[in-house]
Amino acid sequence: MTDVVATNETILVVGGGVSGMTAALEAAEAGKQVILVEKRAYVGGRVTQLYKYFPKLCFPTCGLEINQRRVKGNPNVTVLTMAEVSKLEGNAGNYSATIKISPRFVNSNCTACGDCERAVSAEYPDDYNYGMNKHKGAYRPYRMAYPERFVIDPRMIGTPDADKAKAACKYGAVDLNMKEEVLTLKVGAVIFATGWTPYDAAKIQPYGYDRFPNVISSVEFERMKDISGPTGGKVLRPSDGKEAKDIAFIQCAGSRDRNYLKHCSRICCMASLKQTTYVSEIEGGNSTIYYIDIRAIDRFEDFYQKVQADPKVKFIKSKPANITQDKDGNPIVNGVNTEGYHRYATAHDLVVLAVGMEPSIKGAMPEGVKITVNEHGFIENDGSNGGIFAAGCASDALDVNRAVQSATASALKAIQVINRVAGMEG
Amino acid sequence: MTDLNKQMVEQYRNSFLKEVEANVEEGEWVKMCMQCGVCSGSCPLGPYWDHPPQELFMMIRAGKREEVLASSSMWMCTSCYNCIARCPRELPITHIMHGLAHYAKRLGLAPKNQPTMKFSQKFWDNLMVTGRVNELKLGLSLYFMNGLVEGIKTSLKMKNIGLGMLLTKRMNPMEMLGGHSVKDKSGFKAMIKKAQELEAARIAKFKTP
Amino acid sequence: MADEIKIGAYVCKGCGLGERLNTGQLETTATRDGKAKFAKSHDFLCSADGVAMIQKDIDSGETNHVVIAACSRRAKAEAFAFKNVTISRANLREGVIWVRPDTAEAKETTQDMADDYVRMACAESKFQKQPAPSGEQTLCKEILVVGGGISGMTAALEAAKAGYPATIIEKSGQLGGVMAQLHRRVPTKAPYAQPEDTSVESLIAEISANKKVTVMLNAKVAKTDGAPGRFSVDIAVESGSVQNKMFGAIVQASGMKSFDANILTEFSYGKTPNVITQLELEALAKAANGGPIKRKDGKEVKSVVFVQCAGQRSTKPGHLSYCSGFCCTASIKQAMYFKDANPNVDTVVMYTDLRTPGAGGEDFYRSGQNKGVIFTKGVVNSVAPNGNDLTVNFKDLILDEEISMPADLVVLATGQLPNSGPDPYAVPMEADKNDAEAVAASKAAHEVAVSVESILNLNYRQGTDLPHLKHGFTDSHFICFPYETRRTGIYSAGPVRRPMDSWQATIDATGAAMKAILEAENAGKGMAAHPRSGDLSFPAFRKEGCTQCKRCTVECPFGAINEDERGYPQFNESRCRRCGTCMGACPVRVISFENYSVDTVGSQIKGVDMPDEFSEKPRILVLACENDAYPALDMAAQNKLEYSAFARVVPVRCLGSVNTIWLTDALNSGYDGVVLMGCQKGDDYQCHFVKGSEIAGVRMSKIGDTLKTLNLEEARVATYEVAITDVDRVPKLINDMAETVAKVGMSPFKF
Repeated sequence: MTDVVATNETILVVGGGVSGMTAALEAAEAGKQVILVEKRAYVGGRVTQLYKYFPKLCFPTCGLEINQRRVKGNPNVTVLTMAEVSKLEGNAGNYSATIKISPRFVNSNCTACGDCERAVSAEYPDDYNYGMNKHKGAYRPYRMAYPERFVIDPRMIGTPDADKAKAACKYGAVDLNMKEEVLTLKVGAVIFATGWTPYDAAKIQPYGYDRFPNVISSVEFERMKDISGPTGGKVLRPSDGKEAKDIAFIQCAGSRDRNYLKHCSRICCMASLKQTTYVSEIEGGNSTIYYIDIRAIDRFEDFYQKVQADPKVKFIKSKPANITQDKDGNPIVNGVNTEGYHRYATAHDLVVLAVGMEPSIKGAMPEGVKITVNEHGFIENDGSNGGIFAAGCASDALDVNRAVQSATASALKAIQVINRVAGMEG
Repeated sequence: MTDLNKQMVEQYRNSFLKEVEANVEEGEWVKMCMQCGVCSGSCPLGPYWDHPPQELFMMIRAGKREEVLASSSMWMCTSCYNCIARCPRELPITHIMHGLAHYAKRLGLAPKNQPTMKFSQKFWDNLMVTGRVNELKLGLSLYFMNGLVEGIKTSLKMKNIGLGMLLTKRMNPMEMLGGHSVKDKSGFKAMIKKAQELEAARIAKFKTP
Repeated sequence: MADEIKIGAYVCKGCGLGERLNTGQLETTATRDGKAKFAKSHDFLCSADGVAMIQKDIDSGETNHVVIAACSRRAKAEAFAFKNVTISRANLREGVIWVRPDTAEAKETTQDMADDYVRMACAESKFQKQPAPSGEQTLCKEILVVGGGISGMTAALEAAKAGYPATIIEKSGQLGGVMAQLHRRVPTKAPYAQPEDTSVESLIAEISANKKVTVMLNAKVAKTDGAPGRFSVDIAVESGSVQNKMFGAIVQASGMKSFDANILTEFSYGKTPNVITQLELEALAKAANGGPIKRKDGKEVKSVVFVQCAGQRSTKPGHLSYCSGFCCTASIKQAMYFKDANPNVDTVVMYTDLRTPGAGGEDFYRSGQNKGVIFTKGVVNSVAPNGNDLTVNFKDLILDEEISMPADLVVLATGQLPNSGPDPYAVPMEADKNDAEAVAASKAAHEVAVSVESILNLNYRQGTDLPHLKHGFTDSHFICFPYETRRTGIYSAGPVRRPMDSWQATIDATGAAMKAILEAENAGKGMAAHPRSGDLSFPAFRKEGCTQCKRCTVECPFGAINEDERGYPQFNESRCRRCGTCMGACPVRVISFENYSVDTVGSQIKGVDMPDEFSEKPRILVLACENDAYPALDMAAQNKLEYSAFARVVPVRCLGSVNTIWLTDALNSGYDGVVLMGCQKGDDYQCHFVKGSEIAGVRMSKIGDTLKTLNLEEARVATYEVAITDVDRVPKLINDMAETVAKVGMSPFKF
């Protein structure tokens, strides 16, 4: 049984991505008790699936290493993975949170030696790589996963492979009888750092994501660049495995569009500009960006100008009308360049849809207290939510830098509630 | 220049956008376009447009009154509704195109001999007689639209189709003699009148003080 | 802590260690070579039982220096987090058995490797001390906020609401800053459709009602001394009086400056009063107060054109190359001023990329369109006076033609400049004071910089103000850690940090207040700030050995070290980030941390068993940055990527902490090669201590001389920039050195 101590001076952080970790750590390092609840089997969230950050082109796991070290060294933070908040009741300074913990089938004895993984043969589509490859039935979610503990895929339970995994573990870490747990915790303040979900590209019917293998999403493209990812770090066409060289990026794929997401997802322009640098590294690689407005605000403009100066990158001001496919499986992007009205029908090796950001909390709000959200599904930090605050992409479409900023602010907001409870307020 | 045209030029002077908002069906949507161009690319007849919808909208905002109203572009619209379905800003583009065409016609600015316009007029005239479209008469009037010789040529070309339709009773030659009408013809007229009143009221509402 | 060092070595037999290694021999190595008081092995050391065994020994006083010979220090950190003892980890799993083949031929060298890591851990343990309080800790909960605009007011209020008293120092006679000059602001709440109240008045009211916020108007920071937890600040008030107050941490919210539009002659700014900036329009809108907006000459404006990116996103001299980020929504808001007063006013926004990101931004854009604001994608070439009115000449990029348009008023969106103090690093601080040329250059630069008034007047060795990142903004370089400036305990917020609008400034100020509170608390406990959060160790120096060379004070990336009047370093514990760059810099090796010193690493290097020249067993020393290279090595091990059995890896806090004596000693004692792995340097540096890897690069470039004196080949020392993702590359780098050694031969310095 998971043993968690919480009081109305405890802060509950929902979501263990970069925003949630930041909010939790800032509060914990300031001396507050924090419970960090993460749906996945590890912390770090969506940034762990990115190859590089814009505009520095540095690696997300670098900052993650520091945040993980902060968690390891801080007794004030309790991390609950594979856990979700299903119900939240009460008011500022006095909430009751119901938390469901899914069975991992691996307990804390796990040394991450990997014997269970070697013992089993069952394989399942790997969500971490957006289903582009498979992981074993006993697996490490990704190479830097923390807590450093393996997971047994629930689909393997009841199969002979599950028993093999159990038999392979010398430390009694595989527990096939683990059941879902439900905890009810008392907390004083809650931070929703539930992050974002890439918009389902298949819904953008004219772009044929579900019909053409060489039309992929920007998040999948990012996974391709990981050397331990599904393509071993190479940009390969899903249709024939050939290296893609002529790559198109379609902006606002799902964003700024009343048919899909009405809001601007903010990050996609910069993400595509960043991804053109991956393409330019390929010998003979070149990129075409189809855009409405390039939104490279503040210092990001420097990066935009750098990319503009790259002769391998072409910009076309157009929201493409549709994508078709030629007999060789090349996607053809059709539309009108609105700068002077030029029609185009251009074949590319690969089309990357810069998919928008959908707040993960949309449609997944815990029952109980009413939380104000706007029409896009983001939680409004408008002071109407009592002791509940939104951090990062739960509050708006934000890049990492702004998400961390927002998360840091939310930690203070939560601390104010806790200190009021403790009689320490101003 | 027609009188109405003169009056409108005077009234809206340098704001063609306001003129469109006031006088063109769904014209108030023109300002909402963000120039993404998806309509222009989505139109199946796109290659035949001198100015695609998104460009027309920009021209309206830029005050290019003559160029827009005299253009044959909006007459190209076949009402497939692709543009409306795709428009990220919810613009009823098909309706705006028809609205613009209609307005250009009202002002007498539509291109002379624009085939779609001619067809529309014939359709309307045909419809007004009985309240129903007389397909036989409409077809023939279209064939002979550009003179007798042209008409005979086209009729001969379409001969087999016509015969086929007669044989399968898809066309009744007796319709040539006036044709059947709607049950309540005066009700139909009243309905059209009411619609015209509503349209006039809508236009009046937008008039600037 | 007991004086006597009692090393207890614990060898784990789990995860295949028991099968692959002779753990009995490891125990012997620990006691015989490592001078451990005792050594024990356990089948599963990280289990509750194993941990209890160690805890029992600690509780009974058997050991106070624990050596764990098991997995990487990054694994099972929580299980082995024993209190009141020092902990050393010998990495036998990721460092040995996972990177070596399980073959009979490899068995001997693999065991050698494991034995060495046990020796090294014991050697390190011997020299480690438990960090003890320095006595410097002071908890001061007072937060100083410099600047009384919306960012400053927010920071002060938010800190006060959490129970931390705040003092606002505002140089003008009133609160509100630039925001107070605005008529309305861009909406901050759903449905993001209508300009809203600036909130300045309500903030001022809240501040005056909050007893924990002190406001000092017409005041400036005359001097800032000390460190987080004990900032001693002289506040000069206009009347001439100076008072001193103590603060725990500082938020610099010094705001923005307006761009000087006078250089925009192409837009006739300055030539006609009818071409104005956005800020000037706010004054007109304020005067109109919801009624029709009138120009200076009293004419009611019937047509207005907004020119976006005026003097911005441009490489022309004097222009701003960046995007100010707020001006697109600001122009929409201002166009609404006109439309709301009179829908018949023509409002045109000329833009090249309309930048209204996020949920609220796009809603507001649509709301502007809905009100009839016209958006034209075009480049304005010129604005020319036309009688009393204006003609705007522009290229319409959609219609692809040059167009002229009349306007009563033209508003230029000219953007923001940071109101920051002079950059301490306008001249590279690496300049040695003994270097006359550098001093001259530095002086020259500071004479130029004098024109910029200092905001904080820090009495720091390395300049008076927060370092700039780019374009004068005092931003941090880190995407993941945006608040971490190079001056611990001083956080910038609002448009001085990055171009931003008022809503972002509000969030930013709240975050900065959080950081200030956290740092005030940290300083009270003697704990380090990012990235070694919670670290209690801090550098001390042996005064008698110090030659006052000032290398440490110059090289500290955080300006933490001052100099006393005799030129000795003055360490300021709570300013220090514990990277050890000072320790690496010290030529006489008098600087050390309790648990990380020239000796803790030096003894590990010396602790390695050195087989003779004819053994065909070379030794390669690998010094790896603990944040990037070391994790990369761990992950390579996870993937079972093999590397040379002759490598001995020592994690370092930062490559900047590497003292060249380690290399000299290593080469002198027979190591055949040395590999240094640090982070990327340069503009997009990834070093978490900003300058550490760069400084190391400079130091290592001079190692050639040492090699020459020793008559050793230059190829024996290699420095690499390694990222945490270089999982495949790190083993290769080690193997490359092994090959190099095979090529150039064994070192002649083996004894």
